[in-house]
Amino acid sequence: MKFNPAPSLVMHLDLNSCFASIEQQANPNLRGKPVAVAAYVSPRGCILAASVEAKKMGVKTGLRVRDGLALCPQLIVLPSDSDKYRFVHSRLRQLLSFYTPSVVPKSIDEFILDFKGTQYSNLFDLSRIIKTKIKQEVGDWLTVSIGLGPSRFMAKVASNLKKPDGLEEINIHNYEAVYSRLTLPDLHGINTRLTARLNAGEIYTVTDFYNAPIARLRSVFHSIASYYWYLRLRGYEIDDVDFGRKSFGNMYSLPIPLSTPEELSPTLHKLVAKTTYRLRGDGYHARGFYMGLLFNDHSFWHHHYSLPRFLFHENDVYKIFYRLLLRAPSGKKVINLAISCFDLRSDNVVQLDLFNTVKKQLSVSSAMDNINRKYGSFVISSAGMSGTDSLVPDRIGFGNVDHLTDI
Amino acid sequence: MKVDSPVSVISSFNHHLKVVSPRKVLFGGREYYVTKIGLHHTHRIGRTLYHVFSVAANHTFLKLSLNTDNLFWSLEDISDEV
Repeated sequence: MKFNPAPSLVMHLDLNSCFASIEQQANPNLRGKPVAVAAYVSPRGCILAASVEAKKMGVKTGLRVRDGLALCPQLIVLPSDSDKYRFVHSRLRQLLSFYTPSVVPKSIDEFILDFKGTQYSNLFDLSRIIKTKIKQEVGDWLTVSIGLGPSRFMAKVASNLKKPDGLEEINIHNYEAVYSRLTLPDLHGINTRLTARLNAGEIYTVTDFYNAPIARLRSVFHSIASYYWYLRLRGYEIDDVDFGRKSFGNMYSLPIPLSTPEELSPTLHKLVAKTTYRLRGDGYHARGFYMGLLFNDHSFWHHHYSLPRFLFHENDVYKIFYRLLLRAPSGKKVINLAISCFDLRSDNVVQLDLFNTVKKQLSVSSAMDNINRKYGSFVISSAGMSGTDSLVPDRIGFGNVDHLTDI
Repeated sequence: MKVDSPVSVISSFNHHLKVVSPRKVLFGGREYYVTKIGLHHTHRIGRTLYHVFSVAANHTFLKLSLNTDNLFWSLEDISDEV
């Protein structure tokens, strides 16, 4: 099969150094300086985003603050400000929706725009207009890298070719030249482990990957993924699938490592409150519950539990998670606590119980959610959460953006 | 530096551009004249809508928040250029 000859009508737009650029946009005195946004500004805090200037000094996402400062002593480290980032995301979304009805946010800083069936045929000119509009209407310091291709994957790869402020296309005429410049981990979805597997199948470069017959790919992947990669590398669309909501979860890195269930209980309760609030808000109940603990010796423990009935009430869900917590290895110091609810069902269907408890719980949950929605999060909360005001602050995940609503 | 303190602000509204801008801030016995608006964003706490202006007054950065329920201004953050 040859490369897809279709025109490049898919655009991938990536806001460069998202959080750090937005901070530089907000504070003009930070522009042109190395800036990093971190989950915590303390030495052990994790850097979430580095500005273009900081990246030039080797600072990148995932580093500890102390390592960032070692690489770049003049680095300005800021805490994250979720409201600001959500606002910019919403403004970008509004602006992009003017050009096509098909705008899919892939994360807080990435959008996919599909122009099939629209009036636009040359997306290069339109991309330049969009870049200018972003500077005029969202922020003059913000730059985006835009990739164009016949599929989402090609557009994504193209957007990574030049950063910051790039505008690149991958099509039937240049794909061979582009592939010859890329390494396997440059392809979105190919990590070090998969690279090793591909190498074992005598695939060392992206060109090898493209030229590999499907039978060889099958021997590497042992699954339908081989066929998906075969199509993906030829620019055919296989990634425009909406898998729907599968789970709700929250995670928290503890500022001080804690070990006993009693010590961890308030944090756990707050994580459960946040998760179940979102679960109910999106109209779901869950009967699968997962907990993961990372310890300070870097070992990991996780466990899940499934129930025959669906839960939605904070206290019921908390009891399940607390039972899971009791099964965790004792005495070890926890540095990261993650929970999630899966196996979801719409709240349209509710199994009532003999003593009418479910109906009462629905009313109480609904009333509490309404109060919190009106007056602010955790204005009313369970007693088990007392003293947790400063714990589990508002954060933005890198992936799912379903919870981001228009402002 | 986090402040979260009530503050006096003189603002202007340009009906041609439909833009509201804080112009002068009085805080801690000092006057700050806004030289550049970096970002104007909004957020809600409960139902209350807040307009937040991140501004520069020469080498000083100020983050001002307007509570649209009572139209009171507060200074959330102030810092000098590093």
